[in-house]
Amino acid sequence: MSYVELQITTNFSFLRGASHPEEFVEEASKLGYKAIAITDRNSLAGIVRAHGAAKKSGIRIIPACRLDLKDGASLLAYPTNIQGYSKISNLLTTGNLRTEKGKCELFKEDVYQHAKDSKFIIIPPCSLNSTFDFEDSFTKTVAEYKKAFGEHLYIAASRSYNGHDAKHLYRISEIMAKFEVPMVATNDVHYHNPGRRELQDIVTCVREKCTIYNAGFRLHPNAERYLKPIDEMHRLFRQYPDAIRQTELIAEACTFSLDELKYQYPKEVTTDGRTPQEELTFLTWRGAQEHYKDQIPEKVKTNILYELKFIKEMNYAEYFLTVYDIVRYAREQNILCQGRGSAANSTICYCLGITSVDPSKFDLLFERFISSARNEPPDIDVDFEHERREEVMQYIYRKYGRDRAAIVATVTQQHHKGAIRDVGKAMGLSVDVITRLSGLIWSFSEEGFDRDRIISQGINPDDPTIRKVLQLTEQFMGFPRQLGQHTGGFVITEGKISDLCPVLNARMQDRTNIEWNKDDIETLKFLKIDVLALGMLTCIRKAFDLAKAHYNLDLTLANIPQDDPAVYEMVSHADTIGVFQIESRAQQSMLPRLKPTCFYDLVIEVAIVRPGPIMGDMVHPYLKRRNGLEPVEYPSKKLEEILKRTLGVPLFQEQAMKIAIVAAGFTPTEADELRRSMATFKAKGKISFFEKKLIKGMIDNGYTEEYAKRVFRQLEGFGSYGFPESHAVSFALLVYVSSWIKCYYPDVFACALLNSMPMGFYQPAQIVIDAKNHGVVVRPIDVNESDWDNKLETKSGKYHALRLGFRQIKGIREEEIRILVEKRKKVYTTMNELRQVGLSEITLEKLADADAFRSMGYDRRRALWEVSSKDLPGSIFSTPSKDAAEEQIELPEMKLSEHVVYDYATTSLSVKAHPVSFVREKLHHFNVLAASQLPEVNHGRIVKVAGLVLVRQRPGTAKGVCFITIEDETGTMNLVVFHKLFDQYRKEIIQSKLLMVEGQVQKEGEVIHVIVRKCFNYSKLLSHLGMAKSDELTLKPMSRSDETTEPVSSTKGKEEHKIIQGKIFPEGRNFK
Amino acid sequence: MSARFVSIWFPHLSTDWFSLRQPHLKKLPFVLRTSSHGRMVITSTNVVAEQKGISKGMPLADAKAIIPELEIIDDQSDLPLKLLNRLAEWCIRFTPIVGIDSPDGLLLDVSGCPHLWGGEEDYLADIVKKLQNRGYDVRVAIADTIGIAWGMARFGKEPLIVEKEANLEALLFLPPEALRLESETIDRLHKLGLHEIGQFINMPRPSLRRRFGPQFISQLDKALGYQIEMITPVQPIEPYQERLPCIESIATLTGIEIALKELLKKLCLRLVQEQKGLRTAQFKCYRVDGKVEQIAIETNSPSLSMEHLFKLFEIKLSSIEPDLGIELFVLEAPKVEDHLPKQKKLWDASGGLEDERLAELIDKLSVKFGKECINRYVPDEHYWPERSFKPASSLQEKLTTFFWCEDKLRPLQVLKDPESIVVAAPIPDYPPMLFRYKGKVHKIIKADGPERIEQEWWIQQGQHRDYYHVEDEEGRRYWLFRLGHYDQTFQWFIHGFFS
Repeated sequence: MSYVELQITTNFSFLRGASHPEEFVEEASKLGYKAIAITDRNSLAGIVRAHGAAKKSGIRIIPACRLDLKDGASLLAYPTNIQGYSKISNLLTTGNLRTEKGKCELFKEDVYQHAKDSKFIIIPPCSLNSTFDFEDSFTKTVAEYKKAFGEHLYIAASRSYNGHDAKHLYRISEIMAKFEVPMVATNDVHYHNPGRRELQDIVTCVREKCTIYNAGFRLHPNAERYLKPIDEMHRLFRQYPDAIRQTELIAEACTFSLDELKYQYPKEVTTDGRTPQEELTFLTWRGAQEHYKDQIPEKVKTNILYELKFIKEMNYAEYFLTVYDIVRYAREQNILCQGRGSAANSTICYCLGITSVDPSKFDLLFERFISSARNEPPDIDVDFEHERREEVMQYIYRKYGRDRAAIVATVTQQHHKGAIRDVGKAMGLSVDVITRLSGLIWSFSEEGFDRDRIISQGINPDDPTIRKVLQLTEQFMGFPRQLGQHTGGFVITEGKISDLCPVLNARMQDRTNIEWNKDDIETLKFLKIDVLALGMLTCIRKAFDLAKAHYNLDLTLANIPQDDPAVYEMVSHADTIGVFQIESRAQQSMLPRLKPTCFYDLVIEVAIVRPGPIMGDMVHPYLKRRNGLEPVEYPSKKLEEILKRTLGVPLFQEQAMKIAIVAAGFTPTEADELRRSMATFKAKGKISFFEKKLIKGMIDNGYTEEYAKRVFRQLEGFGSYGFPESHAVSFALLVYVSSWIKCYYPDVFACALLNSMPMGFYQPAQIVIDAKNHGVVVRPIDVNESDWDNKLETKSGKYHALRLGFRQIKGIREEEIRILVEKRKKVYTTMNELRQVGLSEITLEKLADADAFRSMGYDRRRALWEVSSKDLPGSIFSTPSKDAAEEQIELPEMKLSEHVVYDYATTSLSVKAHPVSFVREKLHHFNVLAASQLPEVNHGRIVKVAGLVLVRQRPGTAKGVCFITIEDETGTMNLVVFHKLFDQYRKEIIQSKLLMVEGQVQKEGEVIHVIVRKCFNYSKLLSHLGMAKSDELTLKPMSRSDETTEPVSSTKGKEEHKIIQGKIFPEGRNFK
Repeated sequence: MSARFVSIWFPHLSTDWFSLRQPHLKKLPFVLRTSSHGRMVITSTNVVAEQKGISKGMPLADAKAIIPELEIIDDQSDLPLKLLNRLAEWCIRFTPIVGIDSPDGLLLDVSGCPHLWGGEEDYLADIVKKLQNRGYDVRVAIADTIGIAWGMARFGKEPLIVEKEANLEALLFLPPEALRLESETIDRLHKLGLHEIGQFINMPRPSLRRRFGPQFISQLDKALGYQIEMITPVQPIEPYQERLPCIESIATLTGIEIALKELLKKLCLRLVQEQKGLRTAQFKCYRVDGKVEQIAIETNSPSLSMEHLFKLFEIKLSSIEPDLGIELFVLEAPKVEDHLPKQKKLWDASGGLEDERLAELIDKLSVKFGKECINRYVPDEHYWPERSFKPASSLQEKLTTFFWCEDKLRPLQVLKDPESIVVAAPIPDYPPMLFRYKGKVHKIIKADGPERIEQEWWIQQGQHRDYYHVEDEEGRRYWLFRLGHYDQTFQWFIHGFFS
């Protein structure tokens, strides 16, 4: 007995199917199916997953889809061979591209044009009319389809158990006889087992935006839409056995398998008629000569020869050439770029200029980057300047054409929070309860719901509705919800890409992407190039430009002097504000302990402050060994090879995986699968399977259980936040380059950094303060001096002075500033000149607020008064407004402290003074120390410190500990708040702009922490800065102030409110 | 006599009201929220929350970060106005002219009132005390102009009495906010360092006008009393009630009838004018001996037909015991609905639910036999047969989503509860061959099915049903079902009869 299910709707028909493609495959194989067809609605997005799963289970997937048409009955389409498949893929592409993202518009005519080499099943309406027959329009459609598809048309028959199955089947058999359209049995499957019916009802509600209580007939009346056993299907169609037979015939006719899709590299990457391998060889040697000036070291020569041989064997030449071509284009356009990833650190990539990391500095073996065992394509990610990446992307589209290049999809999965929100809504829970439930989820944990925590939120976990919600949420998690575009993964093909996979419009203009994500691509062995955006590259390129203009230096990533001790000295003192990667507070407290002295130390520094090593408890052992406090030893000889460079402590993703292979006997494929199963929380059962396998394997090989567990914990961390050595190396180069610029040209560095904002960890204010601390003179924004960008002016002392640009003013319009700068032939002297140039009132007001009229002799208040005037010189005949001369109005004088507050309000920074300096005297009364005094304080002493809150950080790895960075006029300070205290002082910590704490000083070398014991919100002190003192006012005898009741909302209150609310001082940034 | 105005400010109007209804909220930090631009924002706070640093306009997420245990209730946007309306009516005890000052205040024209309380101080104290006793936090100020009273109530320092003709002095120390200006203007004044009205009140008018616009000048003038400002007083709604006192007590049915007709005439006249129709009415007779006799009626659709309403009452009139006589008749209509007059048609044969005569007939029948005897059912969107229909709440209730399901045959008569029957049916899910119902064996010659209806799992759990339509030898058709799957325990039932 056999039967092939030809109509399966998976959850890739978003909010229709209620099971994963993999689940269907598993179930089908359990029930003894030999083949099934996946028919999602106007989409092929789910077939690769089904295909991958089917290969393991040993059944066959027929790639197919359901076509919902705008002007006719729906069809199921089954390509019989690869040509047919391409046609269907192109058909869907046509439908996708003519409309917006997420929709597909198809018409009968389109199908007719792409019908060759496919079989079609027409889906009849599910109900009959009052005379128990199909409507005439349907019969007509059948006739029309028959004419178009001939013998390839079939009609679907399903037992829906809605009371008139017998009549329905009979009418279908009539049509079959009349039009000679064979009847095919299907079960219109929506879930793999009947238990999923509830979830199917829920996704229907989500789709229809209703609750289960008012969904009514939009739901299915029964649970029959599951994958039924084969004999049951035979029984249901006992009167029409031919309908069952037809399913097999169709399955036999459709021989196409996704394995037949052969990826072809693009061919136009060679010149002068060379083959790709010849071209690569040629370019590599040419590059090597340029790099080493005809004195190519022997080691490099051997490496190149070795790598070329390997590439030839694996046939990867086109891949390297494609990447090379993109990089070459970026170079020509003066766009800075840097490759990273498994293959990027090869000698060949260095010669081709894909990376600037000199491979002769390491003895990394090439195969380590490309696993020949897995035979998967090499992986090179290329980072570009974030502001100019789009140019590179458009180049790729231009060069290969939109029909040959497209971005890979990312399947947005239903995450915990979203799932509970959707399910809760559909189950009719109130917003309040849903919020409380979803609030239970700590974003870092992947565990389910915890009874006690649910009870703590005042929710009864035994309530049937709540229980149902939680149960369905669990099932719903991990469901695909929509196709997005990958951040930069490109697929480029030789033929039309739509022959391989449907292409669709992305949400962004001028972007198209395919329906498959990177795992699908990998399953099918397609080439993917990641074109990524990196803010630091923008900053470095801008710095290079500035260095050229002001210091006449021709810098590149490759020619910056290497291994400069001054740079490492600076880094070792954690003087790294603004530097790539190692600027975060955690990094800054690591640097003085690690004291990097060579390039590889930077590689380690980049990788060590990550959840993987931290959660795996690898950081302290490494530090101890490095500082000679602990002997360097290896669990075994084999592991010594892997772990030598990191002193026996695994820090990189590759090392952890290698351990799994070498020590626990995993195959490379298994190790990879393990890593991946940890990245997706869905495959929970699998993790514990791997955990057992790994620990057992390691114990069997003679390692201690404790060590095995530690390795596994680290792997767990790597799963989600893995940091491979190959990426760390490339990043380390950028770390070095940015440190070098900061070390020698802090003016250039600060200016470039400010012009690349927003990026990095710090606010403009800290960048400016840091620049000042390094001896750079910073000048304020001014209508007669500044440009849009920040710029360097003439030398003032050791460095050029930094002139702040208009871009620092919040919400100002760039176009108007361009006009202002362009028309600035001579110095502006009156407000009306600026008006005549064409600046709007809003812009003028913003400039006044930013205190940019000083060169015209106005402070911000006077300037605002001038700007405020509403009657403007309308025509050339009107006499100049009387105002300017007439009014001898005295506006209250603004104090310096007030100016600083307003500077912060408009530009987030002030070059006049630091706000805390105005309250220093008061702070002194409270015995509060300044940051600069801390180094003199002994370890263990209790002190008070205060400052503006810059960063609050509560990493998931630190068990609820909160790290806070505060800043006063003398520097920054690092606070540590332990879990219990955080709950106690939550209000102060979150609300304070100016935070005062009492705590114990903890010193470890240069690293100073204050372990907080008490917190106080001192923001009120700041709020008084913003206002003139009452006694300075003109009309002000405070006579009747028997202040019995404080006015509930006074000006004072309002200003204070603004300051506290972060409208003036930048909100401290929160990180997890 | 010069004019005097009182401004009452309710800083926590909505939250006070919620605390009154749920007293436990009083001691907890508690806010109202609403969604604005895709995020939740706090619209009002109570005092406790305010003291902990929560303020209006704060995003809810921020507030919850500060106080995780914050109590949150959804705001009702029309609540403040409703409350103010109620409070305004209540305040008529202090002066006849009370106006609403949205969003959180009241304005009272109190010219000539305070001396009745023994002076302004006592007058204000009484207002404050009475409102506080009602549970509201208030600040109350009195002044010559609305503008100053308003500003003092919100920004002034105690005592909040501004002496006559002391406008200018009072104004000098108030912040610009007290002038009821647009927030932009206020922001700009502060930015210019002008934090008190006194700092700019003497500046040349043209300069001010040029910068802050005529509105600004006008607000200033209103506060100073150079420009007259009016209050739009509230007018309380009168209940639908008519009274007929009698000089001599009435004890006869005819007398009562005449009284009822008289009252109905008056009430219907008022209903017609206000385009309302009556749904319920109570006729109360206050007897000489102090007892009250009363009868009530109810209609199916809004009605203002005197004859019809009278007929409805007439049936019940006999139950009234006049005893020694009735001295006061009162007719009340607690429930009325909008009733727009329909255009009269020359010839109206449409009938159906819209026909008034049908509604009146049903009213009469309901009065005679009880409401339960007449029911109208409308379809409800459920597959489960018992839930697929529901009684309609009124004659006019529209079928909201759909019509009676036509593609699935349903019997004309459905049993209230399915009755168990004995059935012989082949396994697995073929239709039955014979069944025994009420002692009679029916042999089935035709059948259709099954129609499988699954439990609505969100309402109840249990087995599904397989329904069959069957026809016996006599040509009668039945609706049978099997509860449960054929391979588990199951049971047969009869659920209905086709014609």
